[in-house]
Amino acid sequence: MKQITTPAIRLFVICFVCALCLGICSEVTKAPIAAQAKKTQDEAMAAVLPDAQFEEIADAPLSGTVTGVTVGKDSSGNVMGYVVSCTTSSFGGGMQMMVGVDTEGVVTGVRILSHSDTPGLGALATSPDFYEQYTGMSGTLAVDKDGGQVKSITSATITSRAVTVGVNDAITWVAENGGAQ
Amino acid sequence: MSKNLKVLRDGILFDNPVLIQVVGMCATLATSTSIINGLGMGLSTTAVLLGSNVVISLLRKFIPDTVRIPCFIVVIASFVTIVQLLLQAYLPAINDALGLFIPLIVVNCIILARAEGFASKNGIIPSFFDGLGNGLGFTMVLAIMGAVRELLGSGTILGMTIMPEAFPKTLLMIMAPGAFFTLGIFMAIFKHCVASRKPVEEEE
Repeated sequence: MKQITTPAIRLFVICFVCALCLGICSEVTKAPIAAQAKKTQDEAMAAVLPDAQFEEIADAPLSGTVTGVTVGKDSSGNVMGYVVSCTTSSFGGGMQMMVGVDTEGVVTGVRILSHSDTPGLGALATSPDFYEQYTGMSGTLAVDKDGGQVKSITSATITSRAVTVGVNDAITWVAENGGAQ
Repeated sequence: MSKNLKVLRDGILFDNPVLIQVVGMCATLATSTSIINGLGMGLSTTAVLLGSNVVISLLRKFIPDTVRIPCFIVVIASFVTIVQLLLQAYLPAINDALGLFIPLIVVNCIILARAEGFASKNGIIPSFFDGLGNGLGFTMVLAIMGAVRELLGSGTILGMTIMPEAFPKTLLMIMAPGAFFTLGIFMAIFKHCVASRKPVEEEE
């Protein structure tokens, strides 16, 4: 009997102590981690729609790949543009991005937040060389292989299309809902 | 040569975790795409390995033999999770660079292999050196493989272009097959040049 109870009790003690440490650690770090996550998000929003103050639209009508919208206003409260969060499907799985679009429907910036594409190929979408080209574009975009104006990444057309789909959906969202505020 | 230094040296060279023990393959193949990735993974693993070896060594008399593996896993996973939470909360810059690797460390069997093979049978000081040696040995292999793959696959070293424009970049090298090619060739060269010299050095 002792052969069974001793290991069981000791394993229990180890698990209990570990769980206690994890619980304490999680409580202590909860607030700083939330603050960090917000800061990262704020920085991405400031990068795609510069000089604006942001207000999340809680009941934004979502369509296509759009997962959330934040409105950006200038200091006197006029709407400057929108930051549209999109999740599109790319080569390696879901790709999350933020697209800034001004009230005229012109893209003010694009940032890829997360992706699972191939390093050296699709992952090049996160380099400024690729995403900066969207800034200033408007209308319906397509990659060069499909006859459009977006210069796609060599050997990563699927990734380039995935980003373009997200940007298109963001432009469409602003065109359809931009006047709602 | 003192026992601790010998443990340290064996971890790096004659008992190298990747090239000789052949453990931690998943992390080795996946994160050696560039020098930075290799170093990041290697150094974070070293930190965790040091911690887990010391803790397991401290608990070695308390942990019953029959349930040692669950005990090791619980201790290691808790340790890694705490490190990750602390990094996220207080060192976001390091977390951005290494955050990707931290969950991978839990499943890296180097940690479990050292806990089972060394720390559970030895004192705290030798276990510390064993963790350090194996961690540095792992880091060395990842950094060298990262350098080779980055150079051939992207034509860069540490992100700086050093190969001429005309150099054909072999994208295959930074994809999965390149990892196997590099590891296999590296292992063969290492065994031939380094590991075979072990008995000679022992006699000195």
